[in-house]
Amino acid sequence: MVGPNLEGGVPPGPGVVDQPRVGVDEWVANVDERREAQKGLTGLVRRAWEGVPPAGRLVILLGPFAIFPFFANEGNLYRYGLITVVYALLALGLNVVVGFAGLLDLGYVAFFGFGAYLYGIMASGHSGHHLQAEIAIPIAVVAAALVGLLLGLTSWRLLGDYLAIVTLFFLQAFVIFVNNANGGPSDFSYPFVGRVDLTGGANGLDQIDPLNFFGYHITTTKGYYFYTLISLALLMTMLYFVNKSRTGRAWRALREDPLAAEVMTMPVNRLKLLAFMFGAGTAGFTGTIFGAVQSGAFPGDYDVGLLITIYAIVILGGLGSIGGVVIGALVVNGAPELLRSSSNARFLFYGVLLLALLVAMRPWYRPVVVLLGTIAFGAVVRVVVAAAWPRGTAGHVQGGGAFGRALDHWVLIPTHVDRIAGWAYFVLILAALVLTLVRGWWRTIALIPTLYLASFVWENKLVEQVSGATRLILLGALLVVIMNVRPAGIFGTSRVEIV
Amino acid sequence: MNWSLFFGELVSGLTLGSIYALIALGYTMVYGILKLLNFAHGDVYMVGAFIGFFVLQWLGGPLTTAVTGWLAIAIMFVVAMLGCGALGVGIEIFAYRPLRNAPRIAPLISALGVSIFLQNSALLLWGPQFRSYDTFDLIGVKSYHIGRNFFISNIQIFTIAASFGLMAVLTWLVARTRTGKAMRATSFDREAAEMMGIRVDRVISFTFFVGSALAAAGGVMFGIVFGQIFSLMGFTAGLKGFTAAVVGGIGSIPGAMLGGFLIGLTEAFATGYLPGGSTYANLYVFALLIAMFLVRPSGLLGSPVIQKV
Amino acid sequence: MALLELRDVSRAFGGLQVVNGLDLEVGEGEVVSVIGPNGAGKTTVFNLITGIFRPDSGEIVFDGNTVSGLAPHTITTRGIARTFQTLRLFLNMTVLENVMVATYGHTRASLVESMLQLPRSRREDKEVRKLAQEKLAFFGQRLMGYRWDQPAYSLSYANRRRLEIARAMATGARLLLLDEPAAGMNPVETHEMTELIGKLRDEGGYTILVIEHDMHVVEGISDRVVALDYGVKIAEGSFDEVATSPRVVEAYLGLRTAQTK
Repeated sequence: MVGPNLEGGVPPGPGVVDQPRVGVDEWVANVDERREAQKGLTGLVRRAWEGVPPAGRLVILLGPFAIFPFFANEGNLYRYGLITVVYALLALGLNVVVGFAGLLDLGYVAFFGFGAYLYGIMASGHSGHHLQAEIAIPIAVVAAALVGLLLGLTSWRLLGDYLAIVTLFFLQAFVIFVNNANGGPSDFSYPFVGRVDLTGGANGLDQIDPLNFFGYHITTTKGYYFYTLISLALLMTMLYFVNKSRTGRAWRALREDPLAAEVMTMPVNRLKLLAFMFGAGTAGFTGTIFGAVQSGAFPGDYDVGLLITIYAIVILGGLGSIGGVVIGALVVNGAPELLRSSSNARFLFYGVLLLALLVAMRPWYRPVVVLLGTIAFGAVVRVVVAAAWPRGTAGHVQGGGAFGRALDHWVLIPTHVDRIAGWAYFVLILAALVLTLVRGWWRTIALIPTLYLASFVWENKLVEQVSGATRLILLGALLVVIMNVRPAGIFGTSRVEIV
Repeated sequence: MNWSLFFGELVSGLTLGSIYALIALGYTMVYGILKLLNFAHGDVYMVGAFIGFFVLQWLGGPLTTAVTGWLAIAIMFVVAMLGCGALGVGIEIFAYRPLRNAPRIAPLISALGVSIFLQNSALLLWGPQFRSYDTFDLIGVKSYHIGRNFFISNIQIFTIAASFGLMAVLTWLVARTRTGKAMRATSFDREAAEMMGIRVDRVISFTFFVGSALAAAGGVMFGIVFGQIFSLMGFTAGLKGFTAAVVGGIGSIPGAMLGGFLIGLTEAFATGYLPGGSTYANLYVFALLIAMFLVRPSGLLGSPVIQKV
Repeated sequence: MALLELRDVSRAFGGLQVVNGLDLEVGEGEVVSVIGPNGAGKTTVFNLITGIFRPDSGEIVFDGNTVSGLAPHTITTRGIARTFQTLRLFLNMTVLENVMVATYGHTRASLVESMLQLPRSRREDKEVRKLAQEKLAFFGQRLMGYRWDQPAYSLSYANRRRLEIARAMATGARLLLLDEPAAGMNPVETHEMTELIGKLRDEGGYTILVIEHDMHVVEGISDRVVALDYGVKIAEGSFDEVATSPRVVEAYLGLRTAQTK
């Protein structure tokens, strides 16, 4: 007999061949698709994307990068193109450590710096050596991986949380070291060789040679751009293969359940170490590129700020998602660049607010109500304040443009703003937190003064430091929000977790 | 043997160590109860120092105050501790609580985000420049000495004594009160504790409150002892505080104290005695951390965790 | 010589002696059931055998070689695999991948080889895939065909238990440790599990050590039964001998019942 016969109310005995039970098993088999289909447009895009063969996906992702140089000038190519690709490479390496193997590596950019500095020591006017790239690069990569090995071995017995702290400390140590290892009086005096200027100290290691492959020097931004892009494409391809292979499966198993993996023949600690070393090597490789591109290695480049940026890329792109990293790099690198000018930043800020409103509030009339309400509220407040306290509106919006001028008449810009701005910032944070606690129409109503306050804080405070502190503030907030809303990252697939 | 240098570094180390110990306590308590590395903790310490600073200013500034010197200091401490306690609770509610059942890495990333957010908010609002506590005139620094080589100032005595005092209160709290018992139970097995009727959310909030308050106390103390604070002080201090917690045995309160002193002394003696001392002092602390991991991963007073399969 | 021998194995946690001087032997091709009340130390014995914990004293010998003290992944590669009382599958990996990944210890392709898709890597992948499909075929049509590419979390409970066994089989083990394989199953599924264990021994050639509470299963599968209580062996023999032994009855039901029986 084939298939269950439930007519008699008696379940079939064993030995009955189990065919997909229509209805029940279809549901089970489709559970994966139903999870995605729920999201409407996003689900459609995702399924279309998964239908494209991998090679095609690579072309779609990197195609725009390949043609970008023909549309951009030198400056933009460097800022938006080369830096993005470099960050993508870095993020890809970190993705292996964090996304594949689940290790929190907080010293990652130290390996990046290590690669740059080591390359500089091997090939620069500063050090006097001029090794060719085909020798120097492998040395840098292997050396970085070895340092990763040593670092990983120290927390061998508890690779995990402790690795986070060891690596963070390593980054600090690295920064201190390269800032001071210039052979000067505050530096070490080494046995046999005495004082050595290894890193140029706070001024950095300058005059790094361009990459020199068998006599061919890469000297143009375009040249480095394509070199980096090709490296990125190759790495993405190789990681794609790894994901489907023995090691990739083992990494995924270890991320799922390290204990079960260990008991299923996988040497968990060794695999973690391998991932860690792989990340270190990738970072070292990217370091050689960066050092050559900048013709120098400077301590300030390899610090916590960069670490957060790369983490943001990995998180945004989705832990474990190879393609997502590229998009993450675009977003995370592109946005701050756009933020450099106040008027651009302003567009971005209000634009994101608007977008968030539209996306988060479902019935269409709600965002409209909020928007109109905010404008009205602002206008009223402005009029009242102008009458009661003229100094409150005497200042002017920074940056110009039509939008800026319009805002000038709407937002409160007091002339001596510092104290108030500080308190306003504090109140804004409280208001935002309160917003997450209330629901329904209360939330809609509370949004109105909050948005006005946000605009106030932006125009009076945040806009000053757009490329510095503000950027990092927003990045930090972004990390917290993403983790709360979508822990797998934007392009990662939502995972079922063993609690 | 330069005894005055030795004793000088010893006292320095103990003073610094007391501050690290206070930070370490917060880390160790939170890790014990949530298995979370609260990266934002160091920045809470920094906020505490700044709150103390602003209270001082509000009371009339570092040289004279509206109330007597020691009262002003006391007010600074209380306000900073309460304020940061609230901050800590807020951070837990908004950045960590929603992620209690998320993959391990999510709260860690969130913590990183909070840390960056706090640090740069401070930078934005208060600038990168150093702010002077300069409470020396206010308190009236007095230096005591034993023999020809051992000197200690009243501020240093105060710091070490206050730290010990706070740690003693904490130990009493955890060992003898019902809340303390609830904390221990929750850190042992959160689900079981909940089923036993313990309000786990409240216990966790309380833990964060206490830990953050201690960090704030450390921050104000730092300002008093060293005279200056700055927006980025939380980062390295937090790092060392966590190192102290780990070295002493994470999850162990006496361990955090011990670890704090050890780190402080290492830093002080490295500055005084080792090559490249003051520049590379942090490197030596790092080396200590590595050594501890190699020799005794569970820390000096910690116990290895047993995982039930 | 027995395939698996535990010689005077002891293990304590804190002040609690969980396993106390245990001697146990499992011969090749046997199915041995381990029974005992909760807390008797049964799962701890499994943990000791698979290397998750080291014995405080005593020795564990598998196929003539000492395995106590080795790392778990080494022990499993040598031929001992287990399932878990509380099911520990790799939920976000597909059914096939769950089984494929357990062959790690017997494959050699390195990371670099996989990156560059060198011949050994490709060849091993094909072999491993085939092996996984064979192991899954053991369970009939349930885990075949379209199921291979389904994520493990989409499986029903009974299928998850079967998948865990398939995964253990893929490690190339000769000895399977099944920790309460029929837990949470209805009578039909329990009956199937009983038959499956028989099939594992007869067709698969496995030696099996089973922890089980359901006495029907124990009766149906066991060549021998071992009863534990407080970490000590209190009875050993055929099912009937053990089930009626007064010490066993006392352990489960208390002294009075033992005395009245």
